[in-house]
Amino acid sequence: MADEDPNTEPTLVERWLEEQREWQKTTLAYLDSMVRNEEFLTHLGNAMRGSLLAGKPYPTPVPPAASAPESDSADRLDQILFALRELQGQVADLRMTLDELIAKQDGQDGKEQQDP
Amino acid sequence: MSVVPEDRELESLIELSRQSRAKLERLHEVLTTPGHYGAGATPARVVYRENKLRLLRLVDSAGEPRNGPPVLFIPAPVSRYFILDLLPGRSFAGHVAAAGFDVYIADFGVPTREDRFCDLAYYVDGLIRRSVRTIRRTSGASEVGIVGYCLGGTLALLYSALYPETVARLALLTTTVDGDVEGGISWIAHRMGLEGESYERPRLVPAIEVKSWFEMLAPGSNSVLGRVADLWDRLDDSPERLRAVRTMASWVDDVVPAPGRLLAEMYRQFGPGRNGLMNGEATVGGRGVDLDNVTMPVLSVSAARDTISPPEGVDAIQSIVPQAEIVRLRGGHVGIVAGRAAAGLWPRVVEFLGDENAAEPCADG
Repeated sequence: MADEDPNTEPTLVERWLEEQREWQKTTLAYLDSMVRNEEFLTHLGNAMRGSLLAGKPYPTPVPPAASAPESDSADRLDQILFALRELQGQVADLRMTLDELIAKQDGQDGKEQQDP
Repeated sequence: MSVVPEDRELESLIELSRQSRAKLERLHEVLTTPGHYGAGATPARVVYRENKLRLLRLVDSAGEPRNGPPVLFIPAPVSRYFILDLLPGRSFAGHVAAAGFDVYIADFGVPTREDRFCDLAYYVDGLIRRSVRTIRRTSGASEVGIVGYCLGGTLALLYSALYPETVARLALLTTTVDGDVEGGISWIAHRMGLEGESYERPRLVPAIEVKSWFEMLAPGSNSVLGRVADLWDRLDDSPERLRAVRTMASWVDDVVPAPGRLLAEMYRQFGPGRNGLMNGEATVGGRGVDLDNVTMPVLSVSAARDTISPPEGVDAIQSIVPQAEIVRLRGGHVGIVAGRAAAGLWPRVVEFLGDENAAEPCADG
């Protein structure tokens, strides 16, 4: 019996079987990533919606109730929170003003010390 | 050797299988590679925080800020800031910083429920004014160059009219000033019912709703089948190219919720039929905004294929700010700041920001 020639091109059936083995590897790579990487499922889910958005799920419609005007109590709480945010800004302004006054004063003191 | 039909079919099946598998392998590689998604590309320090705002100061590779004139980038508060600092080598802000400017970016963050009460005054007279104040303090400069993109440009224009003494130069990119020019995002929002948005009892407008307005401008982009088909075609690109596409896609698809009060106020003041900027009736926190105060050099850039801010509505600034230099570039709304068309914009803005001989302030300003 003659030895098999290593340079012989694989037959179509052999190539088909090889292709099936490659598919198994690809599938295993996906399964492996799903198990190892929690975010991968999110990324894959986005890709299945045609998006390459990374890091978070593709935005989906929210139930109408979620975007409806808030109840009075929730509304009031949010208004208080927002007022605190505005206050935060005013305090920041005040702090900047104080820093500027201190810097100005330090500058004047330094100048007076230098001047005879 | 002749190939029998069955063999030919199997041959093409194998080839089809191989191509599909290669696409899925490329997708797997892209989905499992970390990248610049949702964060800026250039190293930066946070120099001021307020509510969700982070004021970023770009630094060099040694972690040091640049010594040049300070420049503040203001993005649209309804999208993520990192479109201005997308990728290494594709960062508008990084390009300006590399030219020697001391660059700052306002990252407005993602609004939550209580932020639905944010209005123009909160942004212009609050966050932006205090950001500029911080920049003047940290840089030691009395004036700051401002680059506003899209809606961020509207905020920048209003700020510059209220506090002109703090602004050295103002660059407005794809910023609509004439709300009566048909088309663009304001008209879509008008048709989708923005008129009904309550100023008194505002909602936090869900991201998906804001996104739907943008999708209306690109027919087909809201069809899952169309998007999947597009992505499948794209998977023939190299992984490197796909990663760049992914960064851009992450920006496009990551629209943030919008403060309903801000949208309602902007619609009432500047929307179709109101046109407060062109009519000289703009107000911020009840204070009239006099655009005659905008006496610093102004550059306004429109994009010829902009479907979000139609170029005619952008270029109209010349009739309300006569010294404004008008530039219209080829490309679209996003492409001119972060796409291929950006090559035309970035050097032009660097030149404008550094040009000591740019248009002088109006004598009667």
